[in-house]
Amino acid sequence: MLALPFKTISVRALVLICALLACACHSGRPAAENSTREITDDTGRQMPLPARVDRVISLAPNLTEIVFAVGGGDSLVGNTTYCDYPAQAKAVAKVGDSIHPSLEAIIALRPQVVLISTSSQLEAFTRQLQDRNIAVFVSDPHDLEGIFRSIDQVGQILGQTEQASQLLKSLRERVDAVEQAVKQTKPVRVFYQASGEPLYAAGRDAYVTDLIRRAGAISVTADVPGAWPKYSKESALAAQPEAIILPTGGSMGAANSTVDESLRTSPAVRSGRVYKINDDYLARPGPRAIDGLEAMARALHPEAFKQ
Amino acid sequence: MTVALSTHAGGIRRSRVTLRKTVVSCAALALTLLLAVLLLSLIGSEPLPLKASLCSLLSFGTSPCGLTQDQFDILFQIRLPRILLAAAVGGSLATAGASYQALLRNPLAEPYLLGISNGAAVGTMVALVFFGANEWSRPVLAFGGALLATLTVYRLARGRAGATPERLILAGVIVTTLLSSAIVFVTTLMDATRIRSFTFWLLGDLSGTSKTLLPVTISIAIVGAVALTLHARSLNLLMLGERDAFDLGVEVGRVRIVVFVVASMLVGSSVAASGSVGYVGLVVPHLARLSLGSDNRISIPAAALGGALFVIVADGVARTVIAPRELPVGAITALIGAPLFIYLLKRG
Repeated sequence: MLALPFKTISVRALVLICALLACACHSGRPAAENSTREITDDTGRQMPLPARVDRVISLAPNLTEIVFAVGGGDSLVGNTTYCDYPAQAKAVAKVGDSIHPSLEAIIALRPQVVLISTSSQLEAFTRQLQDRNIAVFVSDPHDLEGIFRSIDQVGQILGQTEQASQLLKSLRERVDAVEQAVKQTKPVRVFYQASGEPLYAAGRDAYVTDLIRRAGAISVTADVPGAWPKYSKESALAAQPEAIILPTGGSMGAANSTVDESLRTSPAVRSGRVYKINDDYLARPGPRAIDGLEAMARALHPEAFKQ
Repeated sequence: MTVALSTHAGGIRRSRVTLRKTVVSCAALALTLLLAVLLLSLIGSEPLPLKASLCSLLSFGTSPCGLTQDQFDILFQIRLPRILLAAAVGGSLATAGASYQALLRNPLAEPYLLGISNGAAVGTMVALVFFGANEWSRPVLAFGGALLATLTVYRLARGRAGATPERLILAGVIVTTLLSSAIVFVTTLMDATRIRSFTFWLLGDLSGTSKTLLPVTISIAIVGAVALTLHARSLNLLMLGERDAFDLGVEVGRVRIVVFVVASMLVGSSVAASGSVGYVGLVVPHLARLSLGSDNRISIPAAALGGALFVIVADGVARTVIAPRELPVGAITALIGAPLFIYLLKRG
């Protein structure tokens, strides 16, 4: 007899939960009906977008830079503590850092779109945002064209297509100039030390690997699967790179400013060809990646930029 | 009293048998370990000429035997130090595990499960954050963290009725989770660039072999294993219960302090060098006891050698299976250790 009311309660609870779930699912629908356009992000998801977007949140410094570069800075209502460029980005409301953003802070800012870099960590997160009619756009570029595509798409989302294509035109010209300059040079074999202790390199899926190629060099880790693999020190030593690139000195501060011990006897170190390049250029796939490309090309092929 | 006397009289005759058994089984294990070091030095992400490498290894690095300078560096600057570190870490953790299990009369007492590894990890993190440049601060603070965690667990476990095995494990769980949240808290305060390397280290990673600390880690492993083996007889008597051990002349308090301090040193130095490599302190002593009996005079030195063997093999897998990329060794020890432990539990 005692078991009966208990059972009823649990059945009721179950019904309630189902109802709540159904509500949650339904609340996502109206967005699709109101929206007038769609966009496909780097995860291949098609998402409906409102005709006019004037409230976005960026959860990565490179996306914040893209938003400002395409002239959409006024629409940016929230970003992360890592977003420090351009200077105006620092004044925008912070929703946490890229790794631990606060869902509550994001929702409170009532964004229409949330821009996210890479798709990891965000499965549950994405669903919660979409249930509130907030579109989630994931940018995950694996090469220079991927970076350009993100710039173009952020321009589309914000209705800044004109300024985005202006920006892309000038960026492409700068890339062409670099490629012209290094065309006649002999490619340098480069090790890109994403971090030392433990040693991380740039793999096949890293956009940096493409930037290195365009800078007139070959990354010795270009064929390693993944984007940022933890790399064997033995293999690093055996690779015998002619030059080493250390992304450091920007947000990284003094971190990663020394060559990993496994590379200390490499031809690169012996001939003094270790180049420190601002990690904010190289670690942020946005407009300043072209600054990184130019810096790498000039460091690796100074003779090609003399005039 | 008569019981005690007869145990004592029989002990003398038996101790000679034990001594021989200890020497034989440890010699066999040491030989296997030596062979494994040699064999695993020949495997890595970079293939090296087999004959020349072997010749060079057997000459203790005095002759390159036709290896190029780079091949020689790979073998002696990168691969061998890492294998030696793996051996020291494995030996340390297994020795610590075996002696905790004897002292606390609990088969589940293990540095990882009791939160002692986490204590050492918090110590290392504090060292990294506040004394980042000073390598020596890491093992020292890791030792402090391990000792503090040990004493906390022990205090928590000791109720009015004494420390029951269940209380001990519960106390371990509490301390582990408390320290885990401390670790998470510190990582949140860290900047993004350091978090990735940190997560790798937390899972147990041997790639950051420090040339300055390697001799220290190895020395602590050896000294610790010897010191605890010398207390094995007292630990045997303690397994009868603290009261009986006391009656049989064991200085219970002193032995407890020795085990806590030495084991904390072992755990501290290995966590500072390689993060938390789990399951070693649990699985290896169990295997040692299962195959050689529960006499600590055998099982402690056997666990030390077996632990070294276990971790160098696990790290051999970690550094070659997806080469030139690497896995954290802790993932491999858990992958081997957890099923093995389930099997042991079912069998036992």
